[in-house]
Amino acid sequence: MDNENEFTGADILLKALKDQEVDTIFGYPGGAVLPIYDAIFGQNFLKHVLVRQEAGAVHAAEGYARSSGKVGVLLVTSGPGVTNVVTGLTDALMDSIPIVCISGQVPSHLIGTDAFQECDTTGITRPCTKHNYLVKDVSKLSETIHEAFKIASSGRPGPVLIDIPKDVQFAKSKYIPKKDISFREHRIKAGSKNVNKNFVEELVNHIKKSERPIFYVGGGCLNSGPQASQELIKLVNKTNIPITTTLHGLGCFPGEDKSSLGMLGMHGNYEANLAMNKCDLMINVGARFDDRVTGRLDAFSPDSVKFHIDIDQSSINKNVKVDFHTNTDITLTLKEINSFIESNNIELEKKDYTNWWGQINDWRKKECLHYEQGEEIIKPQHAISRLYDLTSHKDTFITTEVGQHQMWAAQYYKFSKPNRWITSGGLGTMGFGMPAAVGAQMANPDSLVIDIAGEASFLMNIQEIATAVQYKLPIKIFILNNEYMGMVRQWQELLHGSRYSESYVDALPDFKKLAESFNAVGVRAKNISELDDAINEMVSIDRPVIADIWVDKKENCFPMIPSGAAHHEMLLSKYDKENPENQEKGKVLV
Amino acid sequence: MSSTSVYPTPINAFKQSKRSVLSIIVDNEPGILARIVGLFSGRGYNIEALNVTVVDIKNNLSRITIETLGEEKVISQIIAQLEKLVPVHSATNLANLSESYEAEICLVKIEFDNNEQDQKILNFADIYRSRTVQKRQNIVVYEISGTSERINKFLDDLNTIGGIKVELVRSGPIGLGI
Repeated sequence: MDNENEFTGADILLKALKDQEVDTIFGYPGGAVLPIYDAIFGQNFLKHVLVRQEAGAVHAAEGYARSSGKVGVLLVTSGPGVTNVVTGLTDALMDSIPIVCISGQVPSHLIGTDAFQECDTTGITRPCTKHNYLVKDVSKLSETIHEAFKIASSGRPGPVLIDIPKDVQFAKSKYIPKKDISFREHRIKAGSKNVNKNFVEELVNHIKKSERPIFYVGGGCLNSGPQASQELIKLVNKTNIPITTTLHGLGCFPGEDKSSLGMLGMHGNYEANLAMNKCDLMINVGARFDDRVTGRLDAFSPDSVKFHIDIDQSSINKNVKVDFHTNTDITLTLKEINSFIESNNIELEKKDYTNWWGQINDWRKKECLHYEQGEEIIKPQHAISRLYDLTSHKDTFITTEVGQHQMWAAQYYKFSKPNRWITSGGLGTMGFGMPAAVGAQMANPDSLVIDIAGEASFLMNIQEIATAVQYKLPIKIFILNNEYMGMVRQWQELLHGSRYSESYVDALPDFKKLAESFNAVGVRAKNISELDDAINEMVSIDRPVIADIWVDKKENCFPMIPSGAAHHEMLLSKYDKENPENQEKGKVLV
Repeated sequence: MSSTSVYPTPINAFKQSKRSVLSIIVDNEPGILARIVGLFSGRGYNIEALNVTVVDIKNNLSRITIETLGEEKVISQIIAQLEKLVPVHSATNLANLSESYEAEICLVKIEFDNNEQDQKILNFADIYRSRTVQKRQNIVVYEISGTSERINKFLDDLNTIGGIKVELVRSGPIGLGI
């Protein structure tokens, strides 16, 4: 007895995805998801991107989400399909990226029997998702999918997984559209919609009183939406308060603006870290006092009154005790601060913090990002600077892998808009950047998408170059090739007596030939005279390009706050020596 | 600690420990206990005792009570992390309430050899008003309720009797704010 109002689980999934306005899904088929793949075969609203390994799917979904502001979606099979996405789910959880992962599961009656390609998916992914589901009843499927999207994108965003046994994909039920679902508020945890007026008033009062204020802005500002960035720019311009951003905050405020001190933290700018250390008022907008940012906690910004805006209650007072906080959305709160200042005609212009800016400009004179580019060997910093100069006029998205190249990219590439910078911060996942570039290019087909890579990271998910070729995604992989796991080598040099244990990457492929064998294009720059040509050629080709840039093998990433050191104990160059006591303490940290 | 026993306690000199009793209301759904236990083990928090039962069938709610150790900052972080879990309605540190009551139940099986032991056991059981569940020739089973400290004290007293064999099970504390 077929009821025409009933659909299979696979069709319900497709209907729900359409209802959620999903147009792209990254995935890899397998036994436990064949009914879903069959449903995908018979439709045309959803573009499926076939990756080469499931890790590629999850990072692509992350890149898609970060660059578009939408939820990224992926589809994988049971067992190894899902264990392969564990790293990416953890990455998305750490970096608050909204993704929904659909996984197939063995049929319900086989669960628990150690069936072929069975694993305890919800058990394995429980600590690395914001939430997960095992759907055993097809009549619950519509509601579950809609709730999953809502949870992934609400409050502090994150990854959500839905495990669907194969029999549920075949079973039939009614479809419930999104508009007919009433979400239960306690499960969505969207944060407060009411602006904390007391917080706003206290903040404005403190801004009026303070001599040395600073904005410390993180990825939460990005996740609050593009409007947050607009309100932030307005507020900074109005108050003339210096602003520093975390790795994920880059782009929330124009990097080349005079008020920007650039990135702070372990490889942050001297002026940014010193200003954090000496400020008397810290306004944290969506950052989480991460250990890469704070350095040694007992010496972190000792003299400041701290305000913290974060939608995640558990980020408040976790690492650093703050004086005032609010869990209301950043956009709403910043808007209220701006309108409070306007409606009360508060004169902040008179307070231009002359002494404070004078101090900051003195720190700036250190030119902490200075490097010496010789006449032959390409300095990695120079490669990024040239890449920026030659591509910044375009609509460019940058993804990265993890390591020295990532920090140089953060230091030397300047971002003027949010969502243009896609990097693995919290988890530090090597192999993230290239699949993330695939996702970013899918979301932004007409833009220039560049993965700034190291040769070691790139090799971790190199198979995805085939995905880029298949879908004609003209992503650029800009490899700073130093034949080392550069950041590992740098730490070994600083902390382990230059014993470069296993950090030299021997037997590297010829990246140019490698590109050609994948039907992509390879370009190479061996010395400074070839650099600009290689970049220009890379950008001009409307196909996937691997640019193999040979850089100085021994260059280290500075400035650096070694682990266990405080903000004012930065090393500015290889000639700076670390306090030996800190060095011993820092050795055991990460 | 502001918790007061629902049962009278004979000796009121228990030392104040840095324990907290957390009361958590959750949707009763598969995996919820694993989420909570996983949060504790994954973030390195202690579970001293744990109790979970459905308390509202109509709305499908369970109440989980966890006894944990830690300084105030850690407990606040545990509460914040618990409240991030999707099926969690609320997480409360009973110590932060102005008024809350705590109780635990314990079943004790005591094997003894002689009359002298029996008299001593009987005496303690009477002082602590434990209920006799079963009594045979050389074996007695008591049920005792009250705060965990009260039960501890009862068990300490029992242990002063030489030559008996004690086997027991405890529910862990449960508590309710008013």
